[in-house]
Order: sequence, then structure tokens, then C-alpha cells
Amino acid sequence: MQGHPAANIPLSEGQPGGCSVRRLLALFSWALVLVLAWAALSLPSHSPGLVDFVHAELEHSGVVNPVTAVLLNFRSYDTLLEVGVLLLAVFGVWALPRERVWGAPLGAPVAGPVLHTFVRLLAPLMIVVGGYLLWIGAYAPGGAFQGGAVLAAMGVLVWLSDLAPLPRFSRWDMRMALLLGFATFLAVAGGVMVGGGRLLEYPRLWAGSVILLIETALTVSIACILILLFLGGVGEKRRATEGVREREAKQ
Amino acid sequence: MNAWIVWPVVVPLAAATLSVLAGQRMARVIIGSATVAIVGALAGLTLQVWQNGPQRHVIGGWEPPLGIQLYADGLSVVMLWMSTVVGALIGVYALGYFAHDSGTTGTAATGEHGDNSELFWPLWLFLWAALHALFLSADIFNLYVTLELLGLAGVALVNLAGGQLALVAGMRYLLASLLGSLAYFLGVAFLYATCGVLDVRMLSTRVSAHPAVWLAIAVMTLGLLLKTALFPLHFWLPPAHANAPAPVSALLSALVVKASFYLLLRLWFQVFSVVLPPVAGQVLGILGVLAILWGSVLALRQQRLKLLVAYSTVAQIGYLFVLFPLAGGTAWGAAAWSGGTFHALAHACAKAAMFMAAGTMMAALGHDHLHELAGMGQRLPLSMFAFALAGVSLMGLPPSGGFVAKWLLLDAALASGQWWWGAVLIVGGLLAAGYVFLVLRQAFAPLPADVRYRPVPRVMELAALSLALLAFLLGLMAIPPLTLLQIGAPFVGGLGTEALP
Repeated sequence: MQGHPAANIPLSEGQPGGCSVRRLLALFSWALVLVLAWAALSLPSHSPGLVDFVHAELEHSGVVNPVTAVLLNFRSYDTLLEVGVLLLAVFGVWALPRERVWGAPLGAPVAGPVLHTFVRLLAPLMIVVGGYLLWIGAYAPGGAFQGGAVLAAMGVLVWLSDLAPLPRFSRWDMRMALLLGFATFLAVAGGVMVGGGRLLEYPRLWAGSVILLIETALTVSIACILILLFLGGVGEKRRATEGVREREAKQ
Repeated sequence: MNAWIVWPVVVPLAAATLSVLAGQRMARVIIGSATVAIVGALAGLTLQVWQNGPQRHVIGGWEPPLGIQLYADGLSVVMLWMSTVVGALIGVYALGYFAHDSGTTGTAATGEHGDNSELFWPLWLFLWAALHALFLSADIFNLYVTLELLGLAGVALVNLAGGQLALVAGMRYLLASLLGSLAYFLGVAFLYATCGVLDVRMLSTRVSAHPAVWLAIAVMTLGLLLKTALFPLHFWLPPAHANAPAPVSALLSALVVKASFYLLLRLWFQVFSVVLPPVAGQVLGILGVLAILWGSVLALRQQRLKLLVAYSTVAQIGYLFVLFPLAGGTAWGAAAWSGGTFHALAHACAKAAMFMAAGTMMAALGHDHLHELAGMGQRLPLSMFAFALAGVSLMGLPPSGGFVAKWLLLDAALASGQWWWGAVLIVGGLLAAGYVFLVLRQAFAPLPADVRYRPVPRVMELAALSLALLAFLLGLMAIPPLTLLQIGAPFVGGLGTEALP
């Protein structure tokens, strides 16, 4: 941290450096642990929760995997808002102050022949695995989040081994990719209401296809979101703004 | 199409998505149409609640306990109107604020967020959607998701100010906000393990005096108190609210802290009311009193205008919690319930107006040091007038919204024989007068000749003034919101309005 500008930021006016404060905090933490343990032990040993309800309606959900049924159908509203949380995380990173506060920007990737060749072999395989995880989500553990994570890892590896340049999220198509999942989900959520249905009420016969559509779009966006979080906001945000200005200048 | 209830959430989310894709130029069109759509949907929903009582919407057609249900009663509708009206006017103000801002070459105080303003619109729309989702949700896990959405949007907005002060304040806000959400989430886990459901209504019939339920109540309350910044958990609020860009300060102080207060109100009076002993409400009330005194005294000692306004928020949050010890009885519960929630409404208008006026002065001067504000009354008469009108509501003078809120609370305090809560309300009003006059005294001092001053967009002044007028006149139009508040309220009986003078 030596010489790093971030190290100079005062974290608080009155540091709780005093020994007595720390002892008090330690005491409080231990008391909390004991109370939590006591409450956890007092819980009923068997609590079915909503498992029975999920299994009762599983055949109408459009998928066989109960986890996917809950995430993308029974409680799809939660998932919709959670994708919003992920987008906000990216915007939050973009909103952070720039290099001046955080120190040097991310260095250029170092390419070696071994890494280079290995990633060339690995990348196509990871795309297949990502797609497989997305598809299998309907039947077994998997889905958009897992598939997106594998694709994001591939993107980061490709960039680190200098096979492809940094994705530019100032570009129109990259922004579309970032928002595709959320936009599709939201469009489906509201779209099904046109025929008089309720929010996120998929047509029963098409539920499986609708879920696959949403998950495919989500996979792309989640991969983008994770790559952006890895890269951090350094430099990216300025370019994003410039991109829009360029576009406006052209129009 | 009679499902008005979903659009206050769906519309801002859609607008947020569009505003990222479209550039700055389209932002006005998107925000304008979104605001109109939200107001229309809300009018429809209000009519439904007014005529037919509380509304429900089963999302995806999956009935609880399996699925999630949206629920709107009088309280939700009043909160939605608060967030829509105050949020829309803050949006109008922000149009002027960021236009003014990008025109500067960058002074230390205001110029650093020039190229960040583009992010303001999606973040603000997400924050709006999160507030509406929170006010409409009837599922304790879904409420957790809305809390996270709200907290993250708030933190990102604070950081738009750029610079180290905002970064440190934003980081502290993030940690406090996350700790609060996680504490709430821990409570959700314990409740689900004991009761087996997440739906608020079903939960209210299943909670019992079980150790895990007690713990859940404790951690959820603590988490929400931290997010509401009730004394002594207010430490994160003044730096975050004072160092954010002015429209963001207004959003956070007026609306965001009210969201966790609203949730606490719901949980305490509609879920946990069976198991909570009366003494618990007394504890919250005492913390509220301490907040009023501590926040007001610190506001009196500030050297910077925005910090003064931020500490005033710490004090005003205290009044909200005077509701808890008073709402215990049936005879006066309705008055306390109405008074506390009406205070949230009045404070939202007044505090947003104050932060907006303060932001205008800061944009004109380039700083907000109190002792250098001399002559602002001549330079920015509209902003100063807005600040003074909002101050009248904070002091609780008639005919402001603050007056009605305090009157109702005072009435409940006297009716329940707990006159000491009423005494605190009056002392708090006097202290508020103290710190408001601290600003006004400077403003009407003679104008120094050598002060550099930059013109500010008129729209900023007018937006602040509209909200201040609303806060000032809210007392004259108190009956409709107070009647609405009774729809679905936990207190049957008196309207709470007959206590009004």
C-alpha cells in the first residue's frame, strides 16, 4: 500500500483504536455469537418450509428442476429485482472516482506462450460448458447464473492472456448485451399482462420456452456484468461517456 | 387493465433500462413519460384503494405461500405518493443541477461530477423503482431484495459527487447499509425456519413467543434502525447526506430513510404485534427522543449548511419513533399512527426542499460555509424563501404539514396520559427554530461586495420552492391523506382526524 493514494484517505475522524473499545466490541461479538447459537439450537429440528408447495406445483412450472422453478417461475419477481441489483453493482463501480483516488489503472495483461496456447484450447470448451449449464438448468443444477459465470471466466482469461482487447462498453451493441437479460425479463413480465394476465404470469403451455428465453438472455448479461466487475470502473466509465457524446455528435 | 399496482414498479425499471441505452438527449423524454405514467398508475391505484379497500396482486398467479404478493393499503398509497411527488420534483431539480454543473470547469466543491451526471438518471430511476417495490411488497424475502436495490442505488448516487470525502462517506454508507440489510436477512432466515412462510399476512398468524422469533425481531429491528439512522446508529448519515450531490442528498434524506422506517412500522404493527410487549415501543420512543435532542444540538453547532441540514434529518427521524410508544392503545392509537406517518410525509417535502435550496446556494457560491452565506436572501430570494418555508414545517408551525403531524402526536400523548412525549415535541420544535434561524440570520445580513457568484438555472429554485410550498400547505389538505391512512390500518376506530383543530 506504500505510496498508494488510497492509503491516504482518512477512514474516520475518530479511529476506534482504544483498547477498551476493542474489548467492548469483542465482548459484544461473543455475546452475539452465543445468542445466535442458542436461537439456532432452539429451532425445530425438522422444518419443511415451502418444499411441499413447490413439489405440488412443479409440473405446472415448465421445468423439472425445483430450484429453477422457484427462481424463474414461482419467485421470478425476486430474481428480476436481483438482476437489477447486479446491474446496480456495475453502475456503482462506474460511479466511483477515477484513477486519481484509486492509484494506477489496471496494468496491461502479460502474455506467455503457455498461457496463450492453453486459453486458445480452453475458450471454445468454456463456451460449450456455459451453454450446457444454461440448458441443463431446466432439469438439474445449472442455469443462467452458472452458465454466465463460466462465460465470464472465459472472457477474463481471454483478456488476461492478451488474445482479445478490452471490451468497450461504450459501444451500442455491448450496452445492449449488458442490459439484454434485464430488458428481456422485464418485457416478459409486463408483456404477459397484455392478455389480461398477472405480472410474470407465463402462459402455462409455454412456460418452459419462456424460461429458456429469459435464461438465455440472462446468461449473456450476467457474463457481461461479471466481466465488468472484474475490470472495475477504472477508465471504462470515461470511455462510456465519450461514446455517447460521439454518438450524439454524429446524429 | 385494472392491475395499476404493478406499474409504479415496472415503469421506472423500464425507464432505467432505456436511459442507459439512450444518451443524455433522450433522458428528458424518457423521464418525463415515465413520471406521467407513474402518476397515472398511482391515481388508478388510489381510486381502487379508496373505493374497494386494500388491493392485492398475486405475481405470476402463484398464491402465497408459494409465490409473492403485492399489497397496497392506505399506508402504501400515501408512501407511494410521497415518493412519486418528491422524487419527480427532485428529478426536475436535477435537470437544472447537472446542466449547470457540466457548464463549469470544475471547482473543488461542485465540478468533479461533470461526466458522471449521465449515470444519475438510471440510478435515480432504479432508486425510485426500489422504493415503490418496497412500499408494495408483502413478502419478507422480497422486501430484503428491495432493501438491497435501494441501498446499492443510494451508495452509487453518493459516489457521483466524486472526490475523497464522498468516497469515504459512500464507503461508510455502503458498510452500514449492508450490515443493516444482512441483519434483516438473518431475521428473515430465523422467521422462515420457525414459521415456514414468507408472506407477511401468513406470518402474522404464525409468530409465537419462540426464542428464534425473539431473535428475529431483535436483529431485523436493529438492522432497520441502522438503515433509518436512528440515534445512536446515525453515524453514517451526516457525511453521506452532506457530501452527496444536492439532488442525491434530497433523495436520501427525504425518501430513502423513510423506506426502512415504513418497513419497521409494517413489521411491528402487522407481524410482530402479537408477541411484542409494550415496553419495546417505549425503548424506540426513548431513542427517538434522544435523536431529536442530539440531532438538533449538533445541527446548531455545524459550520456547513449541508451538514446542518443533515443533522436536522437525524433529529427529525426521532419524531417518527415517538409513534411507537403512543400507538399501543386503541383509543389514541389511530392519532399516533396518523401523526407519525404524516410526519414522514411532511418531512419528506420539507427536507427535500431544504437540501435543494442548500444545493442551489452551493452551486451559486461554490461552497456552503454558513458564515459566508451573507446576502443570500438578496441573491437567491426564491431559494431562501423555500428554505424558510421548509423550516416552518420542521418547527411545526401552522399551517404546515409538520404542525398537523405534531398536533396528532401531541394529542395521542395527552390522551394516553404520557404527556412527557408531548413536551419533547415542543422542545424539538424550539431547537429546530434555532438552527433554521441560524441560516436565515446569515441570509438577511447585508450583501458583501466582493463575493463571486454564478447564476443558477431558474428551474432549480422553482423545484425547491414547489416542494417547500407543499410542505407549508400540507396542513390545509391533511384530510385526504389522513383518511387514506386509515384504510387497512391496524387501528380500527377513530379516524384520528377529529383531533385536528
